[in-house]
Amino acid sequence: MADFLLEKEEVDKHASALVAPLNIQKSPKRSRSREYGHIRQSSSRGTHSIKSQSQSQSQISPPLTPRTSREGLPDQPPTQPVFHNYLRAFYHFHPSSTVSSSTDESSITVPINQGDVILVHSVHPNGWADGTLLASGARGWLPTNYCEAYDHPTIRNLLNALTHLWDLVRDGENGDLMVFTKQDYVRGMIAGVRFFLERTQCLTRDSSLILAHVGLRRMRKGLLGDLSSLVKTAKKLQEILETNESSVPVFEQLDELVLRSFKLVTRAVRFLDIWAQDAVSLSFDLGEALNNRPPTPPSDSADPSVQPQALSNQNGEDGVSTNDYAPLVSQESAIATQEESGSATTQPPRNLHRLSVAFSIPSEADSLQSPLFPPQSQGQSKRFSVTHRLSYTGKSQGLRKQNLASERLDGARDSFLGFIGSFIGLHLQSRSSEELTLTTQQSVIACQQLLAVVEEIWERDSRRSEPLEQARDTMYARLTELVQATKDMFSTSESNIGEEVLMPDSGKQLVAAATSCVRSAGDCVSKARVVIERIGDFEFENAGLGLSETIFEQIGQIAPEEDDQPEPQPEQQPEPSKQPEITLETDKPLPAPPASTRPLPPPLVISESKPLPEVPLPSPPEDNRVSLQPTQPPIVESPTAVSFRSSRSSLPPLNQLPIPHLPQPCPSDHTQSPASATHRFFSKSTRTDSVNVSVTDSSSTYRYSMRGDTNSIHSQTSTRATTPDQSPAKAQSSQALVSSFGSSSELRSVASEDVTAVEEHLLETTFLHELIYNKEGQVSGGSLPALVEQLTTHESTPDAVFVNAFYLTFRLFTTPVELAQCLIDRFDYVGDSQLVGVPVRLRIYNVFKGWLESHWAPDSDSASLGLILTFATGKLRTALPAAGKRLAELTSKVTEVRAGALVPRLVSSLGKTGISNAVFTPSDSNVPAPILTKSQMNALKASKEGRAQCSILDFDPMELARQFTLIESKLYCSILPEELLALEWTKRNGSRAANVRAMSTLSNDLANLVADTILLLEDPKKRAVIIKQWVKIAIKCLELNNYDSLMAIICSLNSSMVLRLKKTWELVSAKTKARLEELKTITDVGRNYAVLRQRLQNHVAPCIPFVGIYLTDLTFVDVGNGTTRQLPGESGCDSVSVINFDKHMKTAKIIGQLQSFQVPYRLAAVPEMQEWMESQIHRVRSSDQANVQSYYRRSLILEPREPPQVVKASPPTSDASTSGALSADNRTNSKDRFEFLNFSFSSTNSIKDRQI
Amino acid sequence: MSQREYHIVVLGSGGVGKSCLTAQFVQNVWIESYDPTIEDSYRKAIEVDGRHVILEILDTAGTEQFSKELYMKTGQGFLLVFSITSMSSLYELTELREQIRRIKEDDNVPMVLVGNKSDLEEDRAVPRPRAFKISQDWGNVPYYETSARRRANVDEVFVDLCRQIILKDQRDYQEPTSKGTRDGSRRHTGRSKRRRRGPTCTIL
Repeated sequence: MADFLLEKEEVDKHASALVAPLNIQKSPKRSRSREYGHIRQSSSRGTHSIKSQSQSQSQISPPLTPRTSREGLPDQPPTQPVFHNYLRAFYHFHPSSTVSSSTDESSITVPINQGDVILVHSVHPNGWADGTLLASGARGWLPTNYCEAYDHPTIRNLLNALTHLWDLVRDGENGDLMVFTKQDYVRGMIAGVRFFLERTQCLTRDSSLILAHVGLRRMRKGLLGDLSSLVKTAKKLQEILETNESSVPVFEQLDELVLRSFKLVTRAVRFLDIWAQDAVSLSFDLGEALNNRPPTPPSDSADPSVQPQALSNQNGEDGVSTNDYAPLVSQESAIATQEESGSATTQPPRNLHRLSVAFSIPSEADSLQSPLFPPQSQGQSKRFSVTHRLSYTGKSQGLRKQNLASERLDGARDSFLGFIGSFIGLHLQSRSSEELTLTTQQSVIACQQLLAVVEEIWERDSRRSEPLEQARDTMYARLTELVQATKDMFSTSESNIGEEVLMPDSGKQLVAAATSCVRSAGDCVSKARVVIERIGDFEFENAGLGLSETIFEQIGQIAPEEDDQPEPQPEQQPEPSKQPEITLETDKPLPAPPASTRPLPPPLVISESKPLPEVPLPSPPEDNRVSLQPTQPPIVESPTAVSFRSSRSSLPPLNQLPIPHLPQPCPSDHTQSPASATHRFFSKSTRTDSVNVSVTDSSSTYRYSMRGDTNSIHSQTSTRATTPDQSPAKAQSSQALVSSFGSSSELRSVASEDVTAVEEHLLETTFLHELIYNKEGQVSGGSLPALVEQLTTHESTPDAVFVNAFYLTFRLFTTPVELAQCLIDRFDYVGDSQLVGVPVRLRIYNVFKGWLESHWAPDSDSASLGLILTFATGKLRTALPAAGKRLAELTSKVTEVRAGALVPRLVSSLGKTGISNAVFTPSDSNVPAPILTKSQMNALKASKEGRAQCSILDFDPMELARQFTLIESKLYCSILPEELLALEWTKRNGSRAANVRAMSTLSNDLANLVADTILLLEDPKKRAVIIKQWVKIAIKCLELNNYDSLMAIICSLNSSMVLRLKKTWELVSAKTKARLEELKTITDVGRNYAVLRQRLQNHVAPCIPFVGIYLTDLTFVDVGNGTTRQLPGESGCDSVSVINFDKHMKTAKIIGQLQSFQVPYRLAAVPEMQEWMESQIHRVRSSDQANVQSYYRRSLILEPREPPQVVKASPPTSDASTSGALSADNRTNSKDRFEFLNFSFSSTNSIKDRQI
Repeated sequence: MSQREYHIVVLGSGGVGKSCLTAQFVQNVWIESYDPTIEDSYRKAIEVDGRHVILEILDTAGTEQFSKELYMKTGQGFLLVFSITSMSSLYELTELREQIRRIKEDDNVPMVLVGNKSDLEEDRAVPRPRAFKISQDWGNVPYYETSARRRANVDEVFVDLCRQIILKDQRDYQEPTSKGTRDGSRRHTGRSKRRRRGPTCTIL
């Protein structure tokens, strides 16, 4: 019944979720009363219960539905360095059994266990986060206050890679599977693991740490095993995508992919825990890990508030009496029992074991004493929960605010200002000393509170804002001064203690001190705001410190003891510790101890209408139970071990070769015998399998555990086999074994799925972590080595678009010498292993080859020639003799070319997509015959000899359009991609963009020719005929897809000097005008040439697009995009900026479009006509009249401006003085008037007249 | 009133950074990647004096000479941009202004004179009074100095121009019958409005 009511209420509230978000109080009492408010109010006790209960009435409302928050997901890129994508639970949280059972499947609150890592999708302002548990793949709401940000620098790259993968998979669920057809996306994970192992100094098998530490060695192998299965899954997915169109297996594989990734990361986290714990005892240098170690659990057992649940489980009811979590423990253990199918008892041992050492329970002496976890690091400052993106998810009304840093800051400031204000006020008037004392105390305490908040914000900020620190110190100094001043005053007034009233004068000093205190406080608060804005808002854990309340209570306590008041001395006041002291004194609840009470609202129920998003969630609760089983045995060698690799049914009977007799350390012995290699390959794999056992993996282990049962014997035997493998010598030889794999290519394809291959993979040096992908899975940024690496990957053919863009633009972000050096460096560090080294080296050779063959720019690149030659004759020849020889040949060829030989320049436009450079032969039968009569030809010839004049009217518009198109096409096709880079064509002097500029000039010439031919004629009728002819030519240009000429003609016809010839236009037929209007819509500049762009999209070549669009686009890509971008995930000052390759990709894309149209027209040239056209153009160009002003002048002479309103019968130049022309005049004038309405002024006549 | 849409043309010789100005304006927030090839690349909704307007920026960058007029025809307001480091870039604007007046057949086209690259003060070649004088000669055209690089005064110039367009719109709307465009009183009102706007001309 109660359940039903509760649920009903929850559902009701859910509807209002968006309006009134839930307000979670950190204070355990409040929250608890919320929790039980409806069911068992009696359980609330203490002085606050009544108040908190009244609050609870208005508080309950569930978080946003996952659906809405999910929509916001793409807006939360991992690039935001301050918001953590990952949380780690440091308390257990199990939703109350009653609610979870009633809702069952639709319950969206996920139980979390201490140490769980959660991928956060969104955080509701109320503090609940929509997250996915990496351990189980379960998604749901979980309380952020039980968690802490997880962003250890060592594992950060891996986590970022996982986030990226997750985003990809989510896109994949929406049907965008393109990215999965290549395996590039897995490389991020591989690089992440590599980086992780590198940072922990566990990269190679024979690293001293790995050799010395059994646990780490196993974890490392497990990690590699996970990675290999991830790679395998990716491969499988790729195969499915290639062969199968059915989406079902694809989605299954996507789920699998995610689960494997989760598993991998989960293991890495555990690895890190062990490492952090034990590496120290092995006295390895931990470096920064010490400073930035992952969140530790509160292990200070003296502090009851941070006692994790494990302890309470053990202690049973004992621990309860002092704290108020009595009802909880039983409940929690009940849940545990239920959920883990009676395995709750085995939980403590698991915790005790090293798997979760870093999260070891406080009762364990070891972890308490762990040198890694100095008490400070667990101090209050670290123990607040993170509410990511909180400040961005919108502010809501409610008491929640109190816990937010910003709200706290405001509250503290307000109360401070309030008190200090009355303090100052008191001194300005005179008051009784008693009152003064009280106010002083209040002020000082308020100030301390403010400082404490500021301190906490400062602590929270990873970059430790210096301005804030300074402001804080200043404020602190001011406060000390104030206190001193008060002290002084009291000491002086002590002599005349009888006096009731202090004189205002004596308080002068005090007022001054207080005022400066206010000023510094203001400064401090504003600085703190800046910090909050930067790092994102967060919630204080020690929420019990309701500031104003505390202050009052505090005051109540302190007030009688006057001497306490001047207490704050610099030495005695470490603010952060002060704060909790205050709280303790006032018996305010400490930072919410989630394990000890239930500070959380009733677990959230989601109605059927709002199911969880289709997150890969393959494991029903039963699965969890099963899967948890194998995790119980803490001992790695356990016979119940679950094997990963055992899923391969094709495994040979491995127990026959339990111990790999590691052979002579010469790898070459084995490369020749695939059989033995395979043997070892499998034995090795099984050894690795056995390691996997140690991992707690809930959901994904389910299927493995089934399989594992059948294969457990193998695992067992092979597990034993691992143990002797400790001596460095053996590790060495096994290393050799590794490199012997893949000696044959078939073997490689098999082996690539294997751990060992992955291991080799990992051993590669990589800069992959310096690479940024965009949402489409394209490289959008990276350092030069990372880009070069992308160019020379071994597992896949580099993306053609990428390679093209790189060749085209690399001179913009690096120098040829640098590129050559970088390629050579890559050659060096990749080594000569068969699996990776050789393919990569071949690719490096290919990059050089492609560069020299097709993308060589002698002017700039020759500086690198020496370096390339040395490389070709040296390292390359040693490693790959044939390639070295060929490259050396190429270098000399390039030099020859430079010396004068012809470069087949067209080669450089090889990047053209899809269109072959069909060589046009005039004899081609498909070429239409020129529309040219004999007499026309004769006229052209006569014109050439100067015997006669031709007019455009003499020829067919189509043929004119054709011949001009041919002239223009020739220029267009010779535009080189280099001309379009870095705004080369805009350079006034020494521009190398000769063809672009020539084409631009030609278009301008055409436009001028149009104007010229029209304005040359005095007779409006003739002008109208010319206009008609040009419109016809324009139409033919459109038919020929010559948009550039079309544009030039239309622009010219549209120019003011032509358009204003109203008499002329009156004589142009309506039909022609209508056609012109059509053409105008095509060339419309509006909406960024939307019409023209639309037409050009997927246009078939040959075509001459309007080059101006490309030039504008290129200009804005250049100025609108930065040259560098920041690597995501790196916070603040340590962020690295890398090449903004996205910009270059965009540039290359535009150039590629332009190139795709560089196809010659299949038209027969009429040289005579072209010559005539060129002569006409030349005539226009060479005349000094070819500018807008002179054309305009001519236009004014032809048809002078008429004063508006005055209808002049016949202007002097108008020879068409028929009655029709007159009426036309009238109409023109009325139109004039109409236009003046539009423009309101047209009084430029005087100016114009003067110009004439 | 429904949402108005205005076309603003950015003019200026090459190398004065006019495209930077445009790019800065249309990307009001930091966008990771700016794609100028899409339809809305040059559109921006702003609010001027409580009115919501959409500005479409026409930037002649990279286009041929002949298409300039096409832009000018479309535009209702003009940003004439020069670089304070180049005197000739200022002189070249005079011709452009003439062209605008010719095409628009209007003396009082909404217009702003913009001296860009104000961050390069040490390379200044155009004294501020000189530019200001020219802006005065042009009929009290507002003069701004901007830095596209530092995003200084960028929004201001566009907002000023937009305000002029709106005012002109209102004037034309209110006095549609006074086609006596040459009578001085009309022009005077325009001038006086300009003058009133004068002090707002921000010089950084």
